[in-house]
Amino acid sequence: MRQLLNGNEATAIAARLARVEVLASYPITPAAPAMEQIVRFISEGKLKAKFIRVESDHSALAAAVGAALAGARPLVVTNSQGLAYMSEVLYHASGLRLPIVMAVVNRGLAAPHTRFPDHGDAIAQEGSGWIQLFCENNQEVLDTLLQAYRLAEDERVRLPVMVHYESYIQSHTREVVEVPAPETVDKFLPLHRRPALDVDNPQAVNVVTGPDLYMDYKYRQDKALQDSQEVLCEVDTAYAELTGRSWGGTLGVYRLDGAEHIFVTMGSLASTCREVVDMLREDGLPVGLLKVRCFRPFPGEKVRSLLKGARTVTVLDKNIVYGSGGALAREVRASLYGPGPEGPFVYSYIAGLGGRDVTSEDVVRIYQMVEEKVKGNQEPLPYEWYGIE
Amino acid sequence: MDLFTGGHVGCRGCGAAIAARQAMEALGPRTIIVIPASCMATIGGSGLRTAWRIPFYHSLFECAPAVASGIRAALEVQGIREVNVVSWAGDAGTADIGFQSLTGAAERNEDIIHVCYDNESYMNTGGQAGGTTPFGAWTSDTPSGKPTRQKDMLAIMAAHRPPYLATASIAYPKDFIDKLKRAKEIKGFRYIHVLAPCHRGWGIKEEETVEMARLAVECGLWELYEIRAGEKRLTVVPERKVPVQEYLRRQQRFRTLSEEDLAFFQAKAST
Ligand SMILES: Cc1ncc(C[n+]2csc(CCOP(=O)(O)OP(=O)(O)O)c2C)c(N)n1
Ligand code: SF4
Ligand SMILES: [Mg+2]
Repeated sequence: MRQLLNGNEATAIAARLARVEVLASYPITPAAPAMEQIVRFISEGKLKAKFIRVESDHSALAAAVGAALAGARPLVVTNSQGLAYMSEVLYHASGLRLPIVMAVVNRGLAAPHTRFPDHGDAIAQEGSGWIQLFCENNQEVLDTLLQAYRLAEDERVRLPVMVHYESYIQSHTREVVEVPAPETVDKFLPLHRRPALDVDNPQAVNVVTGPDLYMDYKYRQDKALQDSQEVLCEVDTAYAELTGRSWGGTLGVYRLDGAEHIFVTMGSLASTCREVVDMLREDGLPVGLLKVRCFRPFPGEKVRSLLKGARTVTVLDKNIVYGSGGALAREVRASLYGPGPEGPFVYSYIAGLGGRDVTSEDVVRIYQMVEEKVKGNQEPLPYEWYGIE
Repeated sequence: MDLFTGGHVGCRGCGAAIAARQAMEALGPRTIIVIPASCMATIGGSGLRTAWRIPFYHSLFECAPAVASGIRAALEVQGIREVNVVSWAGDAGTADIGFQSLTGAAERNEDIIHVCYDNESYMNTGGQAGGTTPFGAWTSDTPSGKPTRQKDMLAIMAAHRPPYLATASIAYPKDFIDKLKRAKEIKGFRYIHVLAPCHRGWGIKEEETVEMARLAVECGLWELYEIRAGEKRLTVVPERKVPVQEYLRRQQRFRTLSEEDLAFFQAKAST
């Protein structure tokens, strides 16, 4: 069924379709409407779940950890300050290998105070051990949340997943979304319970661990995270078989055939870049787009094989890792290191922080600046800020 | 069967471990326990060994009642009944860093039992002062004695009007066990605050733990009572009454108390 949905509504409908059992969330702008909509579904009897009206974001994720440990399927909705406040609990969720799914309505981190979108909140948690998937539109939000549960609960993975979409640009903008039938989703997403806290099978969880074991746990956790790339691709294929929609697994590629200058980006900017690619291709310019859907784990090998033949790569980051640059550009460069002198130069731009709009004209402008540099044989700077006077 | 067995790695004469063993008598095997960072979170297991025979989760410091709320929700949606969900925290995990999640769970009237085992300091990090550390007590970060009074956690929790609230002491195991048994039968948020001395923090001998817990009651500084549906009832009236100095002067942490300080405590003691 086709419906006009904003990102938060898509999240709420995904929660219903996924038959989420425990919702633990603390209000934050502009993610709260997703939480409220799910609570309405529960009170109207459309979703059989428990809502825990926690007193903080830290407790929201802690309650989800408790629910997952006891074998239920939890959902958490948050962003920015809330996500930062949860940081400590994120590491418990991943270290305990809990299949928790969290919708993160990306918003810039204070100070100064902002409610507007960027990926700074997500990137601040890049080392938390969560799978991090970025969505470019509301269809992808709905589809990715459903995929996230199957991925998180897969025996080979058993890891928590963040599904990212941007505040306002996505959370408060309605788009046409194809909503799959509940029976289709039930087929795709059977419930596998594996409670760690079970009175019939008592176990001690998170006991003090010494140097003899800690590193082995961490090795397995990292390996499961790396291996989840393959599982995500499988899940995406299985989803496509049922719904006809694939999101490329870890990466979305657009007009890379013969592309000499390739844009790399994440989230809503991917839609903007796709339009720019079409515009420039009309003019006969050999450009293409690589959209990173899965930022953690980073699909470095695939990125390298897709980019290494390009002449120029331009990375657009809606985040700044202070003193270092854009997180995506850093990953792209790291994955390209090694192919030898024939590898492409990577130009890195920080753009669109705290909701500053990045239009297709801006992307064209960046393209032209990079082409100027290429002509002038100018090596890329570590990173540049776009749109600062 | 012991559900918190010998072989834990707490100090000899640990009041907290005694409290846990007593509590398990009442709670039984259909109990899930969440313990935030504290001595009790660490002494019950390490590596691949554990002294717990019930499901146990060592949670983060701030959030044991929130985790317990999540566990209860998960059990409910799965239709799993007759399980006690217990958050069991030290005084810091209850009254200080853990207070946010505690007050939240109490206000929501979550169907959990929260037990605070109170040794009146932060023992797992070496014995610093916290909110329940008494006035005048020497700790590793109050070298001249704590300059402020302890917060009245029982009054704070009573203000949440939980269906059940009680104090307890490891020197009165029957009273403690009976209270937990009564608490088990009640639905909603139940709060039990058990005094569980720590010989290291208090500056007493390890064999004096239980005696000290008894003296606290006999001198009137620790009253044993319960509050059900707003009705307060004393559950133990000690046969012997002693002046506060018999309790306080035995503890190294109070070695610098003046006569005036003692008078302050005596005035505070119930008679
Ligand atoms: C967020 C966080 N801050 C600080 C600590 C360090 N820490 C661990 S246990 C503890 C004190 C615990 O005191 P209490 O709750 O009274 O339990 P006790 O150890 O006295 O039994 C502290 C400060 C921590 N684990 N986590
Ligand atoms: S330091 Fe005190 S509370 Fe901690 S294990 Fe030893 S006796 Fe028990
Ligand atoms: Mg303590």
